[in-house]
Amino acid sequence: MDYAIEMNNVNVYIDNRHILKNISLKVPYNTVYVIMGPSGSGKTTLLRVINRLIDVNPNAKVEGVVKVLGLNALNHDPYDLRRHIGMLFQVPNPFPHMTIYDNVAVAARINNVARNKKDLYEVVKWALEKAMLWDEVKDRLHDYPHQLSGGQKQRLCLARALAMKPKILLLDEPTANIDPVNARKLEEAIISLKNEITIVMVTHNPHQAARVADYVSIIYDGRIVEQGPASQIFLKPSTEIAQKLLRGEI
Amino acid sequence: MYSWRKLKDRLFLALVLAISIVAIAPLIHLIIVTMLNGFSVILNAGLGFFTENPPTPTSKNVGGIAPSLVGSILLTALSLPITVFIALFASIMAVEFPNNPLSIAVDVVAKSLASVPTIVVSMVVYLLVVVPMGRFSILAGAIALTIVSLPYTYTYFSTYLRSVPTTYREAAFAIGMSRWRAVINVSLPIIRRGFLVTILMTMARILGETAALLFTVGRYRTGVSFSVLSPSDAIPLLIFDYILTPYKVFQEVAWGAATLLLIAYLIIFIVAKFVIKEVRL
Repeated sequence: MDYAIEMNNVNVYIDNRHILKNISLKVPYNTVYVIMGPSGSGKTTLLRVINRLIDVNPNAKVEGVVKVLGLNALNHDPYDLRRHIGMLFQVPNPFPHMTIYDNVAVAARINNVARNKKDLYEVVKWALEKAMLWDEVKDRLHDYPHQLSGGQKQRLCLARALAMKPKILLLDEPTANIDPVNARKLEEAIISLKNEITIVMVTHNPHQAARVADYVSIIYDGRIVEQGPASQIFLKPSTEIAQKLLRGEI
Repeated sequence: MYSWRKLKDRLFLALVLAISIVAIAPLIHLIIVTMLNGFSVILNAGLGFFTENPPTPTSKNVGGIAPSLVGSILLTALSLPITVFIALFASIMAVEFPNNPLSIAVDVVAKSLASVPTIVVSMVVYLLVVVPMGRFSILAGAIALTIVSLPYTYTYFSTYLRSVPTTYREAAFAIGMSRWRAVINVSLPIIRRGFLVTILMTMARILGETAALLFTVGRYRTGVSFSVLSPSDAIPLLIFDYILTPYKVFQEVAWGAATLLLIAYLIIFIVAKFVIKEVRL
Protein backbone atom coordinates (compact mmCIF):
# COMPACT_ATOMS: atom_id res chain seq x y z
CA MET A 1 0.00 0.00 0.00
CA ASP A 2 1.23 3.46 -0.88
CA TYR A 3 1.20 6.15 1.75
CA ALA A 4 1.03 9.94 1.38
CA ILE A 5 3.45 10.35 4.26
CA GLU A 6 5.88 7.84 5.75
CA MET A 7 8.22 8.54 8.64
CA ASN A 8 10.84 6.14 9.80
CA ASN A 9 12.90 6.63 12.95
CA VAL A 10 12.68 10.40 12.77
CA ASN A 11 14.56 12.33 15.44
CA VAL A 12 14.50 16.10 15.78
CA TYR A 13 16.89 18.19 17.86
CA ILE A 14 16.39 21.90 18.48
CA ASP A 15 19.19 23.75 20.29
CA ASN A 16 20.56 20.28 21.16
CA ARG A 17 17.29 19.32 22.89
CA HIS A 18 15.84 16.02 21.71
CA ILE A 19 12.29 17.06 20.69
CA LEU A 20 11.07 14.10 18.59
CA LYS A 21 12.30 10.61 19.40
CA ASN A 22 12.22 7.72 16.92
CA ILE A 23 8.98 8.74 15.28
CA SER A 24 7.61 6.23 12.76
CA LEU A 25 4.20 6.60 11.18
CA LYS A 26 2.33 6.01 7.92
CA VAL A 27 -0.45 8.24 6.66
CA PRO A 28 -2.65 6.62 3.97
CA TYR A 29 -3.84 8.76 1.04
CA ASN A 30 -7.10 10.72 1.44
CA THR A 31 -7.61 10.14 5.13
CA VAL A 32 -7.70 12.39 8.16
CA TYR A 33 -4.76 11.54 10.40
CA VAL A 34 -4.96 13.19 13.81
CA ILE A 35 -1.99 13.74 16.08
CA MET A 36 -2.91 14.23 19.72
CA GLY A 37 -0.83 14.92 22.76
CA PRO A 38 -0.37 17.33 25.63
CA SER A 39 1.24 20.76 25.17
CA GLY A 40 4.95 20.62 24.45
CA SER A 41 4.90 16.98 23.35
CA GLY A 42 6.22 17.79 19.85
CA LYS A 43 3.02 17.75 17.76
CA THR A 44 3.70 21.01 15.91
CA THR A 45 7.34 20.06 15.36
CA LEU A 46 6.15 16.82 13.78
CA LEU A 47 3.94 18.75 11.33
CA ARG A 48 6.79 21.10 10.48
CA VAL A 49 9.04 18.20 9.59
CA ILE A 50 6.54 17.09 6.93
CA ASN A 51 6.67 20.37 4.97
CA ARG A 52 10.23 21.25 6.08
CA LEU A 53 9.04 24.43 7.77
CA ILE A 54 11.32 23.27 10.55
CA ASP A 55 14.17 24.54 8.35
CA VAL A 56 13.15 28.10 9.24
CA ASN A 57 14.75 27.44 12.62
CA PRO A 58 18.51 27.37 11.93
CA ASN A 59 19.12 25.48 15.17
CA ALA A 60 16.91 22.53 14.23
CA LYS A 61 18.39 19.20 13.10
CA VAL A 62 16.30 16.39 11.60
CA GLU A 63 17.44 12.77 11.28
CA GLY A 64 15.69 9.74 9.84
CA VAL A 65 13.61 9.08 6.75
CA VAL A 66 10.63 11.21 5.75
CA LYS A 67 8.80 10.30 2.56
CA VAL A 68 6.13 12.68 1.33
CA LEU A 69 4.20 11.71 -1.81
CA GLY A 70 7.01 9.31 -2.57
CA LEU A 71 9.63 12.06 -2.40
CA ASN A 72 12.52 11.92 0.03
CA ALA A 73 11.42 15.07 1.88
CA LEU A 74 14.66 15.73 3.73
CA ASN A 75 16.69 15.80 0.51
CA HIS A 76 14.09 17.40 -1.73
CA ASP A 77 13.95 21.14 -2.51
CA PRO A 78 11.81 22.46 0.38
CA TYR A 79 10.12 25.13 -1.76
CA ASP A 80 9.03 22.55 -4.30
CA LEU A 81 7.93 20.17 -1.54
CA ARG A 82 5.76 22.86 0.09
CA ARG A 83 3.92 23.43 -3.18
CA HIS A 84 2.22 20.05 -2.63
CA ILE A 85 1.44 20.70 1.04
CA GLY A 86 -0.94 23.32 2.38
CA MET A 87 -0.75 24.37 6.01
CA LEU A 88 -3.09 26.02 8.46
CA PHE A 89 -1.55 27.49 11.59
CA GLN A 90 -2.83 27.75 15.14
CA VAL A 91 -3.25 31.52 14.92
CA PRO A 92 -4.94 32.81 11.72
CA ASN A 93 -2.31 34.58 9.64
CA PRO A 94 -3.83 35.99 6.44
CA PHE A 95 -1.47 38.49 4.78
CA PRO A 96 -2.62 41.82 6.24
CA HIS A 97 -1.58 43.94 3.24
CA MET A 98 -3.56 41.88 0.72
CA THR A 99 -7.29 41.91 0.08
CA ILE A 100 -9.40 38.83 0.75
CA TYR A 101 -9.24 38.00 -2.97
CA ASP A 102 -5.48 38.48 -3.20
CA ASN A 103 -4.86 36.40 -0.08
CA VAL A 104 -6.30 33.40 -1.89
CA ALA A 105 -5.10 34.33 -5.37
CA VAL A 106 -1.47 34.69 -4.31
CA ALA A 107 -1.25 30.98 -3.43
CA ALA A 108 -2.70 30.04 -6.82
CA ARG A 109 -0.35 32.43 -8.64
CA ILE A 110 2.78 31.22 -6.85
CA ASN A 111 1.95 27.63 -7.71
CA ASN A 112 0.83 28.30 -11.30
CA VAL A 113 -2.61 26.89 -10.62
CA ALA A 114 -4.42 29.36 -12.91
CA ARG A 115 -3.59 30.20 -16.52
CA ASN A 116 -5.42 33.51 -16.80
CA LYS A 117 -7.50 36.01 -14.81
CA LYS A 118 -10.75 34.12 -15.36
CA ASP A 119 -9.16 30.86 -14.22
CA LEU A 120 -7.76 32.63 -11.21
CA TYR A 121 -11.17 33.97 -10.23
CA GLU A 122 -12.62 30.47 -10.54
CA VAL A 123 -9.87 29.01 -8.34
CA VAL A 124 -10.38 31.72 -5.72
CA LYS A 125 -14.13 31.14 -5.75
CA TRP A 126 -13.70 27.36 -5.53
CA ALA A 127 -11.25 27.69 -2.61
CA LEU A 128 -13.50 30.10 -0.71
CA GLU A 129 -16.48 27.81 -1.28
CA LYS A 130 -14.53 24.79 -0.04
CA ALA A 131 -13.55 26.81 3.05
CA MET A 132 -17.24 27.67 3.51
CA LEU A 133 -16.47 31.39 3.34
CA TRP A 134 -17.68 32.38 -0.13
CA ASP A 135 -21.22 33.34 0.92
CA GLU A 136 -19.87 35.62 3.64
CA VAL A 137 -17.26 37.45 1.54
CA LYS A 138 -18.43 37.30 -2.08
CA ASP A 139 -19.51 40.96 -1.96
CA ARG A 140 -16.43 42.18 -0.16
CA LEU A 141 -13.56 40.43 -1.89
CA HIS A 142 -11.60 43.69 -1.91
CA ASP A 143 -11.83 44.23 1.83
CA TYR A 144 -8.81 43.53 4.00
CA PRO A 145 -8.50 40.64 6.48
CA HIS A 146 -8.61 42.93 9.53
CA GLN A 147 -12.28 43.47 8.67
CA LEU A 148 -13.00 39.75 9.22
CA SER A 149 -13.65 37.90 12.48
CA GLY A 150 -11.04 35.49 13.85
CA GLY A 151 -12.92 32.45 12.55
CA GLN A 152 -13.40 34.00 9.11
CA LYS A 153 -9.68 34.79 9.00
CA GLN A 154 -8.90 31.15 9.74
CA ARG A 155 -11.25 29.98 6.97
CA LEU A 156 -9.58 32.51 4.65
CA CYS A 157 -6.28 30.86 5.50
CA LEU A 158 -7.83 27.49 4.69
CA ALA A 159 -8.97 28.89 1.32
CA ARG A 160 -5.43 30.19 0.73
CA ALA A 161 -4.01 26.75 1.45
CA LEU A 162 -6.58 25.07 -0.82
CA ALA A 163 -5.90 27.49 -3.70
CA MET A 164 -2.51 25.83 -4.06
CA LYS A 165 -4.42 22.63 -4.96
CA PRO A 166 -2.36 20.71 -2.43
CA LYS A 167 -2.27 16.94 -2.12
CA ILE A 168 -1.66 17.16 1.63
CA LEU A 169 -3.08 19.59 4.17
CA LEU A 170 -1.44 20.13 7.55
CA LEU A 171 -3.65 21.62 10.24
CA ASP A 172 -2.01 22.82 13.44
CA GLU A 173 -4.81 23.12 16.02
CA PRO A 174 -6.83 25.14 13.52
CA THR A 175 -9.80 25.73 15.83
CA ALA A 176 -7.81 26.51 18.98
CA ASN A 177 -8.27 30.28 18.72
CA ILE A 178 -11.70 30.66 17.17
CA ASP A 179 -15.30 30.63 18.39
CA PRO A 180 -17.43 27.43 18.38
CA VAL A 181 -19.57 28.46 15.38
CA ASN A 182 -16.53 29.10 13.20
CA ALA A 183 -14.87 25.98 14.60
CA ARG A 184 -17.85 23.91 13.47
CA LYS A 185 -17.76 25.43 9.97
CA LEU A 186 -14.05 24.73 9.73
CA GLU A 187 -14.56 21.17 10.89
CA GLU A 188 -17.29 20.66 8.26
CA ALA A 189 -14.93 21.99 5.63
CA ILE A 190 -12.22 19.55 6.76
CA ILE A 191 -14.61 16.59 6.62
CA SER A 192 -15.80 17.59 3.14
CA LEU A 193 -12.17 17.67 1.92
CA LYS A 194 -11.03 14.31 3.14
CA ASN A 195 -11.93 12.42 0.00
CA GLU A 196 -9.72 14.70 -2.09
CA ILE A 197 -6.81 15.58 0.17
CA THR A 198 -4.72 13.79 2.77
CA ILE A 199 -5.16 15.71 6.01
CA VAL A 200 -2.86 15.63 9.01
CA MET A 201 -4.33 17.50 11.94
CA VAL A 202 -2.94 18.33 15.35
CA THR A 203 -5.56 18.84 18.01
CA HIS A 204 -5.95 18.99 21.75
CA ASN A 205 -9.62 18.26 21.59
CA PRO A 206 -10.52 14.52 21.82
CA HIS A 207 -14.14 15.19 20.77
CA GLN A 208 -13.02 16.97 17.63
CA ALA A 209 -10.54 14.18 16.93
CA ALA A 210 -13.30 11.60 17.32
CA ARG A 211 -15.50 13.49 14.84
CA VAL A 212 -12.96 13.86 12.05
CA ALA A 213 -10.21 11.27 12.44
CA ASP A 214 -9.66 8.09 10.44
CA TYR A 215 -6.34 7.40 12.14
CA VAL A 216 -4.85 8.71 15.37
CA SER A 217 -1.36 8.97 16.81
CA ILE A 218 -0.84 9.89 20.42
CA ILE A 219 2.42 11.59 21.12
CA TYR A 220 3.90 12.16 24.55
CA ASP A 221 7.27 13.68 25.38
CA GLY A 222 8.39 13.40 21.75
CA ARG A 223 7.47 9.73 21.34
CA ILE A 224 4.46 8.10 19.73
CA VAL A 225 2.91 6.07 22.53
CA GLU A 226 -0.05 4.73 20.60
CA GLN A 227 -1.31 4.82 17.03
CA GLY A 228 -3.91 3.14 14.87
CA PRO A 229 -7.42 3.50 13.41
CA ALA A 230 -9.49 6.12 15.23
CA SER A 231 -12.16 3.63 16.29
CA GLN A 232 -9.57 1.44 17.98
CA ILE A 233 -7.84 4.33 19.77
CA PHE A 234 -11.05 5.91 21.01
CA LEU A 235 -12.80 2.71 22.03
CA LYS A 236 -9.89 0.71 23.42
CA PRO A 237 -6.89 2.88 24.22
CA SER A 238 -4.21 0.49 25.37
CA THR A 239 -1.78 2.81 27.12
CA GLU A 240 -2.36 4.75 30.31
CA ILE A 241 -1.21 8.00 28.64
CA ALA A 242 -3.77 7.59 25.84
CA GLN A 243 -6.51 6.85 28.38
CA LYS A 244 -5.61 9.95 30.42
CA LEU A 245 -5.39 12.13 27.31
CA LEU A 246 -8.79 11.02 26.07
CA ARG A 247 -10.28 11.69 29.52
CA GLY A 248 -8.77 15.16 29.36
CA GLU A 249 -6.53 14.55 32.37
CA ILE A 250 -3.27 15.53 30.68
CA MET B 1 -6.89 58.00 50.23
CA TYR B 2 -8.61 58.41 46.87
CA SER B 3 -8.00 62.17 46.71
CA TRP B 4 -4.31 61.68 47.58
CA ARG B 5 -3.98 59.20 44.71
CA LYS B 6 -5.76 61.64 42.41
CA LEU B 7 -3.44 64.47 43.52
CA LYS B 8 -0.36 62.29 42.90
CA ASP B 9 -1.69 61.41 39.47
CA ARG B 10 -2.16 65.08 38.59
CA LEU B 11 1.25 66.04 39.97
CA PHE B 12 2.88 63.34 37.89
CA LEU B 13 0.98 64.44 34.79
CA ALA B 14 2.08 68.04 35.36
CA LEU B 15 5.68 66.90 35.77
CA VAL B 16 5.58 64.91 32.52
CA LEU B 17 4.04 67.89 30.75
CA ALA B 18 6.70 70.26 32.10
CA ILE B 19 9.52 67.92 31.06
CA SER B 20 7.99 67.54 27.60
CA ILE B 21 7.83 71.34 27.19
CA VAL B 22 11.46 71.67 28.30
CA ALA B 23 12.44 68.96 25.81
CA ILE B 24 10.69 70.46 22.79
CA ALA B 25 11.31 74.13 23.64
CA PRO B 26 14.76 74.25 21.94
CA LEU B 27 13.27 72.69 18.80
CA ILE B 28 10.42 75.19 18.67
CA HIS B 29 12.89 78.03 19.38
CA LEU B 30 15.11 76.82 16.53
CA ILE B 31 12.19 76.64 14.10
CA ILE B 32 10.89 80.12 15.06
CA VAL B 33 14.32 81.82 14.95
CA THR B 34 15.22 80.22 11.60
CA MET B 35 11.85 81.10 10.09
CA LEU B 36 11.96 84.67 11.39
CA ASN B 37 15.45 85.26 10.04
CA GLY B 38 15.19 83.36 6.81
CA PHE B 39 11.65 83.57 5.56
CA SER B 40 11.85 87.29 4.83
CA VAL B 41 15.12 86.73 2.93
CA ILE B 42 13.45 84.20 0.63
CA LEU B 43 10.39 86.44 0.18
CA ASN B 44 12.52 89.50 -0.64
CA ALA B 45 14.74 87.57 -3.07
CA GLY B 46 11.73 85.97 -4.74
CA LEU B 47 12.27 83.33 -7.38
CA GLY B 48 15.85 84.57 -7.79
CA PHE B 49 16.74 82.86 -4.51
CA PHE B 50 16.40 79.52 -6.32
CA THR B 51 17.85 80.53 -9.69
CA GLU B 52 20.70 83.00 -9.07
CA ASN B 53 24.26 82.59 -7.84
CA PRO B 54 25.21 83.70 -4.31
CA PRO B 55 26.19 87.37 -3.80
CA THR B 56 29.66 88.86 -3.39
CA PRO B 57 30.50 90.44 -0.02
CA THR B 58 29.76 93.92 -1.42
CA SER B 59 26.48 93.00 -3.17
CA LYS B 60 23.34 94.88 -2.27
CA ASN B 61 21.06 91.94 -3.17
CA VAL B 62 21.16 88.50 -1.55
CA GLY B 63 21.08 86.79 -4.94
CA GLY B 64 20.35 83.08 -4.69
CA ILE B 65 21.61 79.65 -3.83
CA ALA B 66 21.17 77.95 -7.22
CA PRO B 67 24.59 76.17 -7.28
CA SER B 68 24.09 74.78 -3.77
CA LEU B 69 20.47 73.85 -4.43
CA VAL B 70 21.32 71.97 -7.64
CA GLY B 71 24.31 70.37 -5.89
CA SER B 72 22.14 69.17 -3.00
CA ILE B 73 19.54 67.78 -5.40
CA LEU B 74 22.19 65.94 -7.45
CA LEU B 75 23.92 64.62 -4.34
CA THR B 76 20.61 63.29 -3.02
CA ALA B 77 19.58 61.87 -6.37
CA LEU B 78 22.85 59.97 -6.63
CA SER B 79 23.38 58.94 -3.03
CA LEU B 80 19.83 58.05 -1.96
CA PRO B 81 19.15 55.14 -4.39
CA ILE B 82 22.61 53.66 -3.79
CA THR B 83 22.23 53.91 -0.01
CA VAL B 84 18.71 52.48 -0.04
CA PHE B 85 19.66 49.61 -2.36
CA ILE B 86 22.75 48.56 -0.39
CA ALA B 87 21.10 49.01 3.02
CA LEU B 88 17.99 47.11 2.00
CA PHE B 89 19.97 44.21 0.53
CA ALA B 90 22.22 44.07 3.60
CA SER B 91 19.30 44.19 6.04
CA ILE B 92 17.44 41.43 4.17
CA MET B 93 20.59 39.30 4.35
CA ALA B 94 20.98 40.03 8.06
CA VAL B 95 17.37 39.24 8.92
CA GLU B 96 16.72 36.29 6.62
CA PHE B 97 20.12 34.62 6.82
CA PRO B 98 21.38 35.60 10.29
CA ASN B 99 23.93 32.76 10.50
CA ASN B 100 25.49 33.44 7.09
CA PRO B 101 29.09 34.71 7.51
CA LEU B 102 28.40 37.48 4.98
CA SER B 103 25.40 38.67 7.02
CA ILE B 104 27.45 38.66 10.22
CA ALA B 105 30.23 40.61 8.49
CA VAL B 106 27.75 43.15 7.06
CA ASP B 107 26.17 43.64 10.49
CA VAL B 108 29.56 44.22 12.15
CA VAL B 109 30.71 46.63 9.42
CA ALA B 110 27.43 48.60 9.51
CA LYS B 111 27.57 48.97 13.28
CA SER B 112 31.24 49.98 13.16
CA LEU B 113 30.62 52.54 10.42
CA ALA B 114 27.99 54.24 12.57
CA SER B 115 30.64 55.17 15.11
CA VAL B 116 33.15 56.60 12.60
CA PRO B 117 33.13 60.45 12.66
CA THR B 118 31.69 61.77 9.43
CA ILE B 119 34.64 64.10 8.90
CA VAL B 120 36.92 61.05 8.87
CA VAL B 121 34.73 59.56 6.14
CA SER B 122 35.18 62.79 4.19
CA MET B 123 38.97 62.56 4.56
CA VAL B 124 39.03 58.91 3.44
CA VAL B 125 36.91 59.66 0.37
CA TYR B 126 39.19 62.63 -0.35
CA LEU B 127 42.20 60.29 -0.40
CA LEU B 128 40.51 57.48 -2.32
CA VAL B 129 38.36 59.40 -4.81
CA VAL B 130 39.18 63.12 -4.97
CA VAL B 131 42.99 62.75 -5.16
CA PRO B 132 42.99 60.06 -7.92
CA MET B 133 40.35 62.02 -9.91
CA GLY B 134 42.28 65.23 -9.46
CA ARG B 135 39.19 67.24 -8.53
CA PHE B 136 36.30 67.57 -6.15
CA SER B 137 33.02 66.23 -7.47
CA ILE B 138 29.40 65.40 -6.83
CA LEU B 139 30.42 61.74 -7.21
CA ALA B 140 32.92 61.99 -4.34
CA GLY B 141 30.34 63.80 -2.22
CA ALA B 142 27.71 61.18 -2.97
CA ILE B 143 30.10 58.36 -2.03
CA ALA B 144 30.85 60.07 1.29
CA LEU B 145 27.16 60.65 1.94
CA THR B 146 26.38 57.01 1.13
CA ILE B 147 29.00 55.78 3.60
CA VAL B 148 27.69 58.12 6.28
CA SER B 149 24.01 57.25 5.74
CA LEU B 150 24.39 53.49 5.27
CA PRO B 151 24.57 52.44 8.93
CA TYR B 152 21.45 54.44 9.83
CA THR B 153 19.45 53.22 6.85
CA TYR B 154 20.58 49.63 7.45
CA THR B 155 19.60 49.83 11.13
CA TYR B 156 16.17 51.26 10.32
CA PHE B 157 15.49 48.66 7.60
CA SER B 158 16.64 45.69 9.66
CA THR B 159 14.64 46.85 12.69
CA TYR B 160 11.49 47.14 10.57
CA LEU B 161 12.10 43.78 8.86
CA ARG B 162 12.61 42.08 12.22
CA SER B 163 9.29 43.53 13.38
CA VAL B 164 7.34 41.46 10.81
CA PRO B 165 5.70 38.67 12.84
CA THR B 166 7.25 35.27 12.04
CA THR B 167 3.80 33.84 11.43
CA TYR B 168 3.41 35.84 8.16
CA ARG B 169 6.80 34.72 6.90
CA GLU B 170 5.94 31.12 7.74
CA ALA B 171 2.60 31.48 5.95
CA ALA B 172 4.51 32.68 2.89
CA PHE B 173 6.91 29.72 3.02
CA ALA B 174 3.97 27.36 3.53
CA ILE B 175 2.40 28.37 0.21
CA GLY B 176 5.66 27.75 -1.62
CA MET B 177 7.35 31.16 -1.58
CA SER B 178 11.13 31.24 -1.40
CA ARG B 179 12.82 33.46 1.20
CA TRP B 180 13.44 36.26 -1.31
CA ARG B 181 9.93 36.09 -2.67
CA ALA B 182 8.55 36.14 0.88
CA VAL B 183 10.55 39.29 1.57
CA ILE B 184 9.37 41.00 -1.61
CA ASN B 185 5.72 39.85 -1.53
CA VAL B 186 5.08 39.78 2.21
CA SER B 187 7.64 41.39 4.52
CA LEU B 188 8.29 44.58 2.53
CA PRO B 189 4.61 45.34 1.84
CA ILE B 190 3.79 44.79 5.53
CA ILE B 191 6.47 47.28 6.58
CA ARG B 192 5.74 49.66 3.67
CA ARG B 193 5.30 52.59 6.04
CA GLY B 194 8.59 51.88 7.80
CA PHE B 195 10.21 51.35 4.42
CA LEU B 196 9.09 54.74 3.07
CA VAL B 197 9.80 56.50 6.36
CA THR B 198 13.34 55.10 6.26
CA ILE B 199 13.81 56.41 2.72
CA LEU B 200 12.57 59.84 3.77
CA MET B 201 14.78 59.87 6.87
CA THR B 202 17.77 58.88 4.76
CA MET B 203 16.90 61.70 2.38
CA ALA B 204 16.74 64.12 5.31
CA ARG B 205 20.11 62.93 6.56
CA ILE B 206 21.71 63.27 3.12
CA LEU B 207 20.24 66.75 2.65
CA GLY B 208 21.52 67.94 6.02
CA GLU B 209 24.96 66.33 6.21
CA THR B 210 27.87 68.81 6.25
CA ALA B 211 31.08 67.22 7.49
CA ALA B 212 31.06 64.41 4.92
CA LEU B 213 31.12 67.04 2.16
CA LEU B 214 33.91 69.23 3.52
CA PHE B 215 36.73 67.55 1.55
CA THR B 216 34.74 65.96 -1.23
CA VAL B 217 32.26 68.14 -3.10
CA GLY B 218 34.26 71.30 -3.59
CA ARG B 219 32.24 74.45 -2.68
CA TYR B 220 31.90 75.62 -6.28
CA ARG B 221 29.41 78.48 -6.05
CA THR B 222 30.09 80.70 -9.02
CA GLY B 223 27.87 78.73 -11.38
CA VAL B 224 25.51 75.81 -11.56
CA SER B 225 27.11 72.46 -12.35
CA PHE B 226 25.05 69.56 -13.60
CA SER B 227 27.92 67.12 -14.09
CA VAL B 228 28.44 64.55 -11.37
CA LEU B 229 32.15 64.53 -12.15
CA SER B 230 32.57 68.27 -11.57
CA PRO B 231 32.92 70.25 -8.35
CA SER B 232 29.69 71.58 -6.91
CA ASP B 233 28.21 72.73 -3.61
CA ALA B 234 25.53 71.76 -1.12
CA ILE B 235 23.14 73.78 1.02
CA PRO B 236 24.59 72.73 4.41
CA LEU B 237 28.11 73.65 3.24
CA LEU B 238 26.89 77.06 2.11
CA ILE B 239 25.19 77.65 5.48
CA PHE B 240 28.30 76.50 7.35
CA ASP B 241 30.58 78.84 5.38
CA TYR B 242 28.34 81.92 5.14
CA ILE B 243 26.99 82.10 8.67
CA LEU B 244 30.56 82.41 10.03
CA THR B 245 31.50 85.35 7.76
CA PRO B 246 31.29 88.96 8.92
CA TYR B 247 29.27 89.97 5.84
CA LYS B 248 25.60 90.66 6.51
CA VAL B 249 24.55 89.68 3.00
CA PHE B 250 26.21 86.26 3.38
CA GLN B 251 24.54 85.74 6.74
CA GLU B 252 21.18 86.56 5.19
CA VAL B 253 21.77 83.97 2.45
CA ALA B 254 22.67 81.42 5.13
CA TRP B 255 19.44 82.09 7.03
CA GLY B 256 17.42 81.83 3.84
CA ALA B 257 19.12 78.53 2.94
CA ALA B 258 18.57 77.20 6.47
CA THR B 259 14.87 78.07 6.20
CA LEU B 260 14.65 76.22 2.92
CA LEU B 261 16.30 73.18 4.47
CA LEU B 262 13.95 73.37 7.45
CA ILE B 263 10.90 73.55 5.18
CA ALA B 264 12.20 70.49 3.33
CA TYR B 265 12.55 68.67 6.67
CA LEU B 266 9.07 69.68 7.77
CA ILE B 267 7.59 68.42 4.49
CA ILE B 268 9.48 65.12 4.86
CA PHE B 269 8.29 64.81 8.47
CA ILE B 270 4.66 65.53 7.59
CA VAL B 271 4.69 63.07 4.70
CA ALA B 272 6.32 60.40 6.88
CA LYS B 273 3.99 60.98 9.80
CA PHE B 274 0.61 61.63 8.26
CA VAL B 275 0.50 60.67 4.59
CA ILE B 276 1.95 57.15 4.52
CA LYS B 277 -0.59 54.68 5.89
CA GLU B 278 0.37 51.74 8.09
CA VAL B 279 -0.75 48.19 7.31
CA ARG B 280 -3.30 47.04 9.91
CA LEU B 281 -2.33 43.64 11.26
